[in-house]
Amino acid sequence: MRGVAPRLTQLGLLAVLVATLSNLGLLNLDLLVRGAGNIAVFVAAMFPPNLAVLERVSWALLETLQIAYVGTALGAVLALPMAFLATGTLFGPRVTAPTRFALAFVRTIPALLWGIVFVVAVGLGPAAGALGIGLYTLGYLGKLFYEIFEGVDPEVLEAVRGVGCNRLQLARFAVLPEAANGVLAQLLFMFEYNVRASSIMGFVGAGGVGYYMLGYIQLLRYDALMTAILVTLVVVLFIDWLSRRIRGLFIQPANVGE
Amino acid sequence: MELTEQPSEAPAAESPGALAPPPGEAVVIRDLWFAYRGAAPVLHGVDFVARRGQITMILGASGSGKTTLLKLIKGFLRPSRGSLTVLGRTWSAGGPDPQITAATSYIPQNLGLLRNMTVLENVLIGALGRMDTIPSLLRSFPRDMVVEASGVLERLGLGGKDHLKVHTLSGGERQRVAIARARLQRATLLLADEFVSQLDPITKTEVMNILRTRSKEAGTTYVQTTHQLDVVEQFADHVVVLREGKQVLDSPAAGLDVMEIARIIKQ
Repeated sequence: MRGVAPRLTQLGLLAVLVATLSNLGLLNLDLLVRGAGNIAVFVAAMFPPNLAVLERVSWALLETLQIAYVGTALGAVLALPMAFLATGTLFGPRVTAPTRFALAFVRTIPALLWGIVFVVAVGLGPAAGALGIGLYTLGYLGKLFYEIFEGVDPEVLEAVRGVGCNRLQLARFAVLPEAANGVLAQLLFMFEYNVRASSIMGFVGAGGVGYYMLGYIQLLRYDALMTAILVTLVVVLFIDWLSRRIRGLFIQPANVGE
Repeated sequence: MELTEQPSEAPAAESPGALAPPPGEAVVIRDLWFAYRGAAPVLHGVDFVARRGQITMILGASGSGKTTLLKLIKGFLRPSRGSLTVLGRTWSAGGPDPQITAATSYIPQNLGLLRNMTVLENVLIGALGRMDTIPSLLRSFPRDMVVEASGVLERLGLGGKDHLKVHTLSGGERQRVAIARARLQRATLLLADEFVSQLDPITKTEVMNILRTRSKEAGTTYVQTTHQLDVVEQFADHVVVLREGKQVLDSPAAGLDVMEIARIIKQ
């Protein structure tokens, strides 16, 4: 009898998967064969990459990096105080609950949609992209930060709170130093993520290499698109490598000496 | 929280601003009960006095309520029933009082040191309660405070280690950093949870000697939970034993046989 329930669960999940695949049209063999053919044509048209656009997309990618950098910094600066207000070990539910709700609301709206909102607000260009990325970052880092803050060893909080300090001092001298490794790790992750997110901000007119990518797709210039994708890939790989180096420099193993 | 000032004649032990407990009594606990919300009581009518300048040791098996009792004295938890007078201030509904918090130092079992900070920074944290918020947030500690912290470290045998990260220190050295932090707080009451339980016998004796000297010289009251009978035998002035939250012994340590204490704990 004990083995029946798991088996039924497995069969149920399999049935849901098959039904969903069918619903999405992914069991339509004709569609898949036709799609594969189109992909082959698409990929063939991407090679060789058109290096004539290299300089243009490189400058646009620099703008993408600026959007990601400013957006991450802006979001992190706003996320830090919000995360403190959302931390249950520092404040009661009357403070944490509305703060968490605000962060969840900001996080619910995708970065691209925030980009559209800011294109409407401040006009076309990278400023809208940076603000959109910044707000999205606030929602995400705010949540990640307060979860890290709440994971700080309660004994450290008790020891520091016990000297008679106030909440700001507690946040500054106990929560932040203890959470620093986690905060830095999430910050680097968010920057890597934002470089990718910023690369499509141009789709909605919010600056960066995405503007050219969308243009090349619409003009069927897949060889130029390939150049933009390759340049973005190289930069993303470089940033991943750089992040790893920074982590190695600043982040110590969590259990050292304790 | 209900607080009532009680008359006090004793001079402050370490600083002009420190609270002065009534002569002889640093902590007075009367019929103290405590239960976490929705759970059975953890403490059942605990009732004893920890005298000023003495080392009171609270013994009991794991889960007997020792740590909970220390947290109640510190003000981290609120009593369900009974009264608690700490350094001359009584509350029955409980809750941390800023003056008592400032004069009472609490060292948790794993010391609560910040591993990414230096020895000196960890010690200076003890002085946060005496500093204005803005300079402290900028880590702008007054020169005399830094000199005081370095002096305390020097006297505790940690001279020259000010700028090391605490995670590079040995267990005994970390215990001394926790003591130094309490010194900077200028606490007249020191509460410590299983303070020397992870140390080797020689280091344990060294650290306990530091505390005993301090309690005799400066009149600092010291309340420690422990399960180590050798520490009790050598250093306790006063012994309280808890069993499943009930107080089963409250006695001066002089003349107590540790084997008898062990029997009471296990009974």
